[in-house]
Amino acid sequence: MNGKTRLGNWALQWVFTGPALLFFAVVVVVPFLLSIYYSFTEWNGVSQDVKWAGISNFKYILTEDGGFRRSFWFTIRFTVTMVIFTNLLGFVLALLLTQGLKTRNVLRTVFFMPNVIGGLLLGFIWQFIFVKGFSTIGEKTGLGFFELPWLGDETTAFWALIIVSVWQGAGYLMIIYIAGLINIPKELTEAATIDGASRWQMLRNITLPLVMPSVTVCLFLAISWAFKMFDLNLSLTQGGPYGSTESVALNIYQEAFRNNRLGLGTAKALIFFLVVAAVSLIQVTITKRKEVEV
Amino acid sequence: MNKWIKPGLALTVAAALAAGCSTAPDSGQGGGSTNNGGSSGGGGTKTTIKMFQFKVEFADQLKKLVEEYQKENPNVIIQVESVGGGADYGAALKAKFQGNDKPDIFNNGGYNELDLWMENLEDLSDQPWVKDLVDAAKEPMTKNGKIYGQPLNLEGYGFIYNKDLFAKAGITEPPKTISQLEEAAKKLQAAGITPFENGYGEWWVLGNHFANLPFANQKDPNAFIAGLNSGSEKIPGNPVFDQWVKLFDLQLQYGNKNPLQTDYKTQVTEFATGKAAMTQQGNWTQTQITQTNPDIKVGFLPMPISDDPSQDKLPVGVPNNWVVNKNSPVKEEAKKFLNWLATSETGKRYMVEEFKFIPAFKSVTADEQKVGPLAADIMKYVKDNKTMTWNWFKFPGGEASSKKFADAMQAYIAKKQTKEQMLTNFQQAWDSLKTK
Repeated sequence: MNGKTRLGNWALQWVFTGPALLFFAVVVVVPFLLSIYYSFTEWNGVSQDVKWAGISNFKYILTEDGGFRRSFWFTIRFTVTMVIFTNLLGFVLALLLTQGLKTRNVLRTVFFMPNVIGGLLLGFIWQFIFVKGFSTIGEKTGLGFFELPWLGDETTAFWALIIVSVWQGAGYLMIIYIAGLINIPKELTEAATIDGASRWQMLRNITLPLVMPSVTVCLFLAISWAFKMFDLNLSLTQGGPYGSTESVALNIYQEAFRNNRLGLGTAKALIFFLVVAAVSLIQVTITKRKEVEV
Repeated sequence: MNKWIKPGLALTVAAALAAGCSTAPDSGQGGGSTNNGGSSGGGGTKTTIKMFQFKVEFADQLKKLVEEYQKENPNVIIQVESVGGGADYGAALKAKFQGNDKPDIFNNGGYNELDLWMENLEDLSDQPWVKDLVDAAKEPMTKNGKIYGQPLNLEGYGFIYNKDLFAKAGITEPPKTISQLEEAAKKLQAAGITPFENGYGEWWVLGNHFANLPFANQKDPNAFIAGLNSGSEKIPGNPVFDQWVKLFDLQLQYGNKNPLQTDYKTQVTEFATGKAAMTQQGNWTQTQITQTNPDIKVGFLPMPISDDPSQDKLPVGVPNNWVVNKNSPVKEEAKKFLNWLATSETGKRYMVEEFKFIPAFKSVTADEQKVGPLAADIMKYVKDNKTMTWNWFKFPGGEASSKKFADAMQAYIAKKQTKEQMLTNFQQAWDSLKTK
């Protein structure tokens, strides 16, 4: 009888997790393993003829490929800036929208909205805003800010990407922060008020430590978004001008599909995967340690 | 992170197709319930031909043509899907082949692209339309004496100019040499008109079309390219490249503001609305120009890099070809459709009247009234034998080197690189991508 229930449990587990596991294996694990294989080959993406290349792809990437290094540096700068700004903005919005504002439900929806639109569309919309909208405003008002060549210059194109991705991501993080803020026990804040704590002290010593679980999640999300940024990059700047805003993801894509060197592309992807995995792990361990149990 | 493997890419590409480009997948039929090539549905045997093409500009007209064909051949369904105009056709096509959603008819640019896709292409040499091809249209898709593709059309590019603005600035004689061009630019500027609209945000405007000039202006472009591949020729120090940079500088000096963020759409719209007098584009912009401004009078100017009178030439070539997937179960049907396209009255009429194509077939005559003034100008240059070749499909890695050229040129425009650095970068791009 005991054996029967164990078998029953076992079957039950498979019924629930089996389908998900199957899809995960087919869509993620198998292609991932395949890509590891391809990263050791020389393949143009079309031919049946896949040549084994050993570690020559990796050697080329690490020693010769300046474009990859440049796009890596760009991605790092982008990630740091984007993670900081998205989280700051998301947190400030969350603080504002947990106050007793009448319009807060509407505003929450409004700020969340950009996240619903896909990155590609956002990119095209903002391309229009930067190229046409801003320059028209610039012509009408003469404000220097709007007359900048927003997508035509290295620095401004970088900030254009930051602006759009912060605008897109902040709403999502805001929701997570709101959830964290709402979960802070009332008695703690009340006690602090009675003790005469100022707003700043309350924020520093009560709110922040208690929303650390949300911070862990939000940092993780923002880091992985920023590292993986592709669609926005493709539609907004296409890596231009002169390849200065090419993210690693876009560089991999170009290598594989435009330069017809799929083997080299997957090798880059593998390196990129290792780096991102390492960064995410470190981040999660560090912020986890800061979390406070109530 | 795990997303960065093939299906992830394929999905992204697919998403790019659905969201990014101007035309969503169109099936000739409404519902699109049948998907499998050559599968027979419940009743009757209907053949489905999947067509995957890159020319978004004529997607609507192509759809109409396909409907005509389906009327004549009720047993055939042709599904047309268009990806291009900035979206990445080559990548999308690869994704389709890897995703086992192989189209039966697709596009190929020829030369290096022909080599890349060779093992999937059906030999079309025995097709009836082959003997009807104009000579210039055969080269890109010929390999070992066999023809693997049907040219869509001929196209040409140059400086498109606004005749009214030229008249307003008092320019009576269209410029044919670089000095005359500079003269004209000065006059235009004095009349308060921006001389050039430079669409330099678009990599292909630079990397394909503009970078083609120094190659096409070599004594023998093919020999020069072979020399680059073998190492006997070098780009830095080549006198033609030197002269070509002068034309580049001229356009920048007399060009619009912020050329690096001027994309194709902006470029054509600004030109069509009279914001600038000249723009480097091809006859494919005709529809868009007339749609934006029906009253505009336009024509082609050559792109002279010196004062030699022989510079009065336009680069004319075959932009792309139809090819048939040789492993397709419906390849006979696909060939039949291509044949119909090139030989039937309806097909020929569409080619000229609806697509506004400059036909690549001898037996198809185009009325200059119907194809529009830009195509008419190209045809005039073709007739007078005043043409240059298109060379970017012969660049190593095809688009890959064009893109790198474009990056270097953009850096030159932004004054991040000197002329010498730009040309050295060209050489480096060539060397890193050429087949060993």
